[in-house]
Amino acid sequence: MKSFLEKYKYKLISACSFLFVLLVWQLVTDVFHLVSPVMLPSPTKILGTFWYKLTGGTVPDGSTLLENIWSSLKIALGGYCVGVLIGVPLGVGMAWSRKFELFAKPLFDIIRPVPALAWIPLMILWLGIGYGSKVGIIFFAAFISATVNSYTGIRRTSQVHLWVGKTFGATNRQLLFKVAIPTALPMIFTGLRLALGSAWVALVAAEMLAATSGLGYMIQMARMLGRPDVIIVGMLTIGFVGLMLNTGLEKLQKKYVRRGKQHD
Amino acid sequence: MIDNTKDSRFSVKQLIVIYTIISLMSLLAVWELVARFTKASMFLPPASQVLVAFCRSFVEPIGKRTMLAHIGVSLYRVGVAFFFATIAGIALGVGMGYSRLAEAILKPIFEFIRPIPPLAWIPLSILWFGLGDTGKFFIIFLGCFCFITVNTYDGAKNVDPELIGAARMLGANERQVFFEIVLPSSVPYIFAGLQIAVTAGWSAVVGAEMIQSNEGVGWMIVRGMNTGNTVQIMVGIVAIGIVGFILANLTSALERRLCAWNEQKGM
Repeated sequence: MKSFLEKYKYKLISACSFLFVLLVWQLVTDVFHLVSPVMLPSPTKILGTFWYKLTGGTVPDGSTLLENIWSSLKIALGGYCVGVLIGVPLGVGMAWSRKFELFAKPLFDIIRPVPALAWIPLMILWLGIGYGSKVGIIFFAAFISATVNSYTGIRRTSQVHLWVGKTFGATNRQLLFKVAIPTALPMIFTGLRLALGSAWVALVAAEMLAATSGLGYMIQMARMLGRPDVIIVGMLTIGFVGLMLNTGLEKLQKKYVRRGKQHD
Repeated sequence: MIDNTKDSRFSVKQLIVIYTIISLMSLLAVWELVARFTKASMFLPPASQVLVAFCRSFVEPIGKRTMLAHIGVSLYRVGVAFFFATIAGIALGVGMGYSRLAEAILKPIFEFIRPIPPLAWIPLSILWFGLGDTGKFFIIFLGCFCFITVNTYDGAKNVDPELIGAARMLGANERQVFFEIVLPSSVPYIFAGLQIAVTAGWSAVVGAEMIQSNEGVGWMIVRGMNTGNTVQIMVGIVAIGIVGFILANLTSALERRLCAWNEQKGM
């Protein structure tokens, strides 16, 4: 028994600490009414709302939780794919060809410091408040991380490996596909993960500004109607989905990109 | 990588300057031509017009303030929040990295909050703090805080155990180990965190101001959207980009000066 306690001491403390916070939260809200339920609903209320939204409740924003998640994911993944499909080749190209870099890097460098959120107004004016504008915003969010990481990854290719390749008569094309890209793969994957993270964050902001469904819309709507329990359910869902996306890509990376050192 | 610019007339530096000018000029030229001579002109104001409006915004007010005042408001919000986030983030990060007990107690709560993007806190922060500056400080604080904590934590966890062992052997007490070894060797990590945090904070202030504000650069572009004023949006984007660029470079320059002993690799 004692060794069990020794072994899991810190895990137990973690669990206790978490439960303690929930307990205090419950006590100050529902039991002693120290905090108004308009400001902070109790954990049990949030759990109830979560269950209600999950099992098909559509109040107050008109969609169930799963519908909102699906609607957000559809847009996030759409913009993400476009951003990655353009960003990775751009980064690889800039790192590989000196001429292309000289021309394209200044253009990239003026876009890079602008946060993706700042494109929201322009995108909405140009493409309306539908699918297109949100995909555009997420494109910017994903595109930048994907490009920067692919670029850095290729740049870290060992010069010696390239020399060896050349000595054995590899063409420029072979050097790129057999030496540089495999070397850069872990770094490119890190870029893909970062890009997915920023895509998800940008999506929430875009939905808060202009949307008719989705998780961002749900919390914005809940704020207008004074439903803090729905806001918190939405926030936790956003966090959880983001975490799942990240873990999913991490798993893929571990499975398919075994060789090479990690550059995190 | 493979150097295919075998042109000995120019040095590398000259080449970079020449190509930068060529590429930016061609961008502006294409933009100007498209905006002037195609149907896109309805949505896309010519580059020259945006440039003129940008210069004029420094003397003529947009809304109630001029450009510099808007930038000042936004920077003030980031500054205050960043200051508190730095203190809280370093304290929490070092604490969790150094003491296993603190880690066990605080990490589950931190990990629970961390994946929630700062902008998702906006509705709640409006309920809690109203529409004033406090809510914005809170959002930006959250945006910076997580990065600083994570990096500091990594730094404090990765202290060379031999150094700690050596110090203990030479009779250092817990306090000395903490202040003389753990804290200084986390400094490069802390700076890496600060650098990401500044960028994240700038992005968070833009987002927070877009959703709820009466002034600042984020307000400027949303106001432009609501009144259909594309020029104002573009002027705002240019300002946001320039300030973001300056902030990012300022922190990396500061890092190079203050952490000169530690060579950091990266882009």
